[in-house]
Amino acid sequence: MSLILLILVCVGLAISLCVVWIRANTAIRRLRAQLDAATEAQRNKDSLLVQRSELDKIKDEFISTVSHELRTPLTSIRGALGLLSAGLMGNVDAKAQNLLRIAVTNTDRLIRLINDILDIERMESGRATLHVRRINLLELVQQGIDTMTAMADSAGVALVLNVTAPSEAVALDGDSDRILQVITNLLSNAIKFSPPKTTVNIHIEADPDWLTLRVSDEGRGIPVDKLETIFDRFQQVEASDARQKGGTGLGLAICKTIVQQHNGSIWAESNVQQKRGPGASLIVAFPRLARQHTSTVPAQQRSSRPAPSRGTIIVCDDDASIRTIVSEHLERHGYRILEADCGERAIALASANSTQAILLDLYMPGLSGWETLQRLKDSKDTAKIPVVILSVLSPSAGRVKDSPKQLIPQGWVQKPFEEERLLAELSRVLHSGNGSSHVLLVEDDADLAAVIIAGFEEAQVRVDHANTRQSAMDQCRLDRPALIILDLTLPDGDGFSLVEWLRQQPDLLSLPLVVYSGRDLADAEMSQLRLGPTDFLTKGRVPPSEVEELVLNIVQHLRPATPRPKVSQRP
Amino acid sequence: MRRVLIIDDEDDIREVAGLSLEATRDWQILTASSGRQGIKVAAAEKPDAILMDVMMPEMDGPTTFKQLQLNPETQGIPVVLLTAKVQGVDQRRFAGLGVAGILFKPFDPLELAQQLADALGWRD
Repeated sequence: MSLILLILVCVGLAISLCVVWIRANTAIRRLRAQLDAATEAQRNKDSLLVQRSELDKIKDEFISTVSHELRTPLTSIRGALGLLSAGLMGNVDAKAQNLLRIAVTNTDRLIRLINDILDIERMESGRATLHVRRINLLELVQQGIDTMTAMADSAGVALVLNVTAPSEAVALDGDSDRILQVITNLLSNAIKFSPPKTTVNIHIEADPDWLTLRVSDEGRGIPVDKLETIFDRFQQVEASDARQKGGTGLGLAICKTIVQQHNGSIWAESNVQQKRGPGASLIVAFPRLARQHTSTVPAQQRSSRPAPSRGTIIVCDDDASIRTIVSEHLERHGYRILEADCGERAIALASANSTQAILLDLYMPGLSGWETLQRLKDSKDTAKIPVVILSVLSPSAGRVKDSPKQLIPQGWVQKPFEEERLLAELSRVLHSGNGSSHVLLVEDDADLAAVIIAGFEEAQVRVDHANTRQSAMDQCRLDRPALIILDLTLPDGDGFSLVEWLRQQPDLLSLPLVVYSGRDLADAEMSQLRLGPTDFLTKGRVPPSEVEELVLNIVQHLRPATPRPKVSQRP
Repeated sequence: MRRVLIIDDEDDIREVAGLSLEATRDWQILTASSGRQGIKVAAAEKPDAILMDVMMPEMDGPTTFKQLQLNPETQGIPVVLLTAKVQGVDQRRFAGLGVAGILFKPFDPLELAQQLADALGWRD
């Protein structure tokens, strides 16, 4: 009986084990499948990015090659025809002369068409970077008029400029070559549709926010239903216009793209409808200043006037020369400095003054750095003041060697230090308590942005996305991010000009930055891009997963330290 | 009489550019069909200026220019690049080389000599 019972128990156990084994196996299989799927998804994301980067490279090369390959035969054709039609190779009769003229005119049109197609392709793909700087619209318009005067003269059309704003009031932030292209396109367009002995009027108006350029002709005008479509590619008032007027059908589409890149607007008005007489007006409005909210005080002047708002820092070091150097650096950046030549003095100063941070040497006579830190942490008046160690030891060496395990300084700068490094670390420490742990991703490629943002979802890090330089600046002003991930190619400027702007903002100039660019950067470019602690990663070489890893690492560091059990005494 | 050396791997372009310069100015034209040949001709003939293509097989324009600069016999000869590459990035790269000027293809044959003279600062 007992044997039967034993057998039954054994069978029962065996069945239970089997069930457990099967369940465990199922669970393992499911986990493995999930893991495989996750790995596969990550691999896909990475390879998608590599593919995109390779595709962009191939496209760039293709455009460069096509432009070269098309222009080379056209050069021979245009040159040969030009020499013949000018009669430089001997006289040709009137009929042949006419044929040569037709050939020259159409070759020129073909060349313009190729140029326009390549232009628009590059701009719309976002690979034509704007070189934004302060420019004067009036000067550009005058330059445009000079360029187009010959065409206007031969069409019997007068170009008249009216400016209602003083020259200094018509400055804007923009790419001068591109804006000049808009101006010459608009003028060329107006001249083409102007009957002889008429006038093309050019007006520049300025208000506090916008600069408006209006080009009005006295031609046949634009029907109301075409006012919007004329900015589309190959859309003209009459289908035959491109052939008859020698245009490409792309001029206004190019203007629209350029204006949009500058965050401006372009539109057409019928002069008849507006009761301005015959013809049409094309109007472009540019936002005056991409940087209108930034201070116009040059960086150097600004930094010589300390802003008391940045707070008080205690520099504790027994070496007077170190204290002087540190003080000079920090005062120039608007901090108020209190110097302490020993630990006791630093503790006294910290207790008596509202202090934002303490820079602390480790090797000092009397109280050592660690002892000073311990006492600071033990007193409730000073426990919360962040401490940055300033030492010849590296953080790992210093900690291993003789730091009490419970004592963790908020920051560390190794001597000899660079000013930039000191400021960055101090800023990191000062801002770590503000709870900001959101990352600003500045990337104009929506697909890539989506891939990067998706990677942060699990880590519970908020990622704000800006797809233009302007939007990045607006978001930084609104809510200081903990870190910026920056792509260099932006539709309305580039990463360089954004960093330049960030450097002018006292509370942003030491932000950690991860530059994630489409190409390897030269040393000089890297130094132009340094903000706070700055890392450079190249798309295609470094997959987004590594960017995420790096960013998370930095962000974790920036977060307020988790509360630790109070330390009673040093061991 | 000014002597201009044209370096371009395209026979037709050498021909048309040469004719354009000869037809509009009283200049003597020398030609070379590669960077390597151009360097030899430049050293032997000491032309007053060189008009050179950018994209050539084996030795491209910028490399040829650097070689010309390394040779004391040719380093004083001003070089103007004639290129079908008109993208801004290419232009900035070429401008950084230290050439006397950059002209673009396709060129107007009647304007080419004047553009070259302007780039070289030749006033006659």
